[in-house]
Amino acid sequence: MNAPVAVTDLASLSMTEAADAFATGEVAATALVEACLARIDAHDAVVNSVIRLDREAALEAAAAADAARAAGRPLGKLAGVPMMHKDMYYRAGRVSSCGSKIRRDFIPGVTATVLERLDAAGAIDMGTLNMAEFAQNPTGHNAHFGHCHNPWDPAYCTGGSSSGSGAGVAARFFYAALGSDTGGSIRLPATLCGVTGLKGTQTRVSRAGVMPLSFSCDNVGPLVRTARDAARFMAVTAGHDPRDPTSAREPVPDYEAALTGDIRGLRIAVCETFFLDGADAPVVAAFEAALDALRARGAVVTRISASSMRAINAYTAMVSRVEGAAIHANWMREHPGDYAIHLSARLFGGYAFPAHLYVEALSRRGPLLRQFVAEALTGHDIVATPTLKTRVPTLAETDIDADPANWSRFMAVSANTRPFNYLGLPTISIPCGFDDRGLPIGLQLAGRPFAEATVLKAADAFQRETGWHCKAPAL
Amino acid sequence: MDPDPTIAAIARWSGIAPPNEAARIGLADNAALITEIEAMRGTMGFEEEPSDFKAALRDCREPTP
Repeated sequence: MNAPVAVTDLASLSMTEAADAFATGEVAATALVEACLARIDAHDAVVNSVIRLDREAALEAAAAADAARAAGRPLGKLAGVPMMHKDMYYRAGRVSSCGSKIRRDFIPGVTATVLERLDAAGAIDMGTLNMAEFAQNPTGHNAHFGHCHNPWDPAYCTGGSSSGSGAGVAARFFYAALGSDTGGSIRLPATLCGVTGLKGTQTRVSRAGVMPLSFSCDNVGPLVRTARDAARFMAVTAGHDPRDPTSAREPVPDYEAALTGDIRGLRIAVCETFFLDGADAPVVAAFEAALDALRARGAVVTRISASSMRAINAYTAMVSRVEGAAIHANWMREHPGDYAIHLSARLFGGYAFPAHLYVEALSRRGPLLRQFVAEALTGHDIVATPTLKTRVPTLAETDIDADPANWSRFMAVSANTRPFNYLGLPTISIPCGFDDRGLPIGLQLAGRPFAEATVLKAADAFQRETGWHCKAPAL
Repeated sequence: MDPDPTIAAIARWSGIAPPNEAARIGLADNAALITEIEAMRGTMGFEEEPSDFKAALRDCREPTP
């Protein structure tokens, strides 16, 4: 449990602090929603994280939660907690734009399983969030709803594709948000905006009722303030879903029970192959300081290499682009001008990959996972890397629509995150410092399949040792 | 027909034309990956033995204490 509420600004609470404060009667759900709405009203004109705000519905849901608590009715694990979600989680009867012009008026007939589970846990859904068009960029640009802006400095990228989720959690607009992660789309906005983001093991969370991008690599997960938040969110949302036959049947452990703070003897591998190549000096310095903080709590850090990374990288680059191209083929024929320039350009490149290489990439996925685990996670519990190799880029220097010459900077953003989607490993990004321009830096921790508890335990211990996750942007 | 053979092949197989100039630049960006694949030729290939990614996920779980 968290410490009793001792702050006056309710919006600054973490998700679990807000949930616990509501459960114990320290705060009303109505007060939590009003605090969030006040932040959105005051600052979203700059950040542009919100697509749809269901103000009245949120206040009604909060009043109902307050009444339920007053009546002594059972409360869910997330009862009374205001959230907003990336606009690609379907709710029957509500527009789900997927950040696009093509689906600007799309009204799904189903509700995503993950939304149903959050509803059942008592979370309050306040609306939908800005995102990269069809979840297809790592920067947060959006030509249709306007770019989402980094709350630490609006000239800089939020990271994508879950741009509104990262920016909104950082700006204290809500306590948690669903993102999705196919090549880093949870972890990148988490690191660029200075919050915590968890991509679970491939198949860990149901994708039923969620816009697809790449069937092999898509993941559902949270952006929140702390590892404890992510643990509770995951406990509510993970687990097999009959509506998603690809979802894992692995039991869902009590993730919060793993957050003991004790990581003495935890073995952390720093993979020196690839992940530090060309990294900016401030990123390397923050990463090394983060390793020192983990050592200070008793972790043992070892430098390793992994020869499998070369093939992993090559195949990673193919799978999601080919699958994305397949999903969008009809629209690319019929409405190519309805996409942003950068997206239609990126999709177009996906049609050029030979089919045999795509099939080969899928056939090698299991063997390469086994090889990477043998090289990096045998004798180690965690692999640590910087989430983003460079300092946070500006929106201007990664804007392909304005200048196609920005292509390589745009594509480089997800270099360190994509491999873990191909490998399917649970991976978290947590804040670990700031660069010389005052923008956040992220630490990425990956574990073995279904070892979310270990990843969360390491992240939680780090957050007990440091205060980076408590920093908030001055808007 | 577009003089670029890759673009012509995409048009023939998929019925999709380059939507803008950036698409041509993006296509050129594939060259780096092609170079990498050329360099690895002989070390990469279709996995002949039956392999299943979900089985690999299960097999690679943390050892039970």
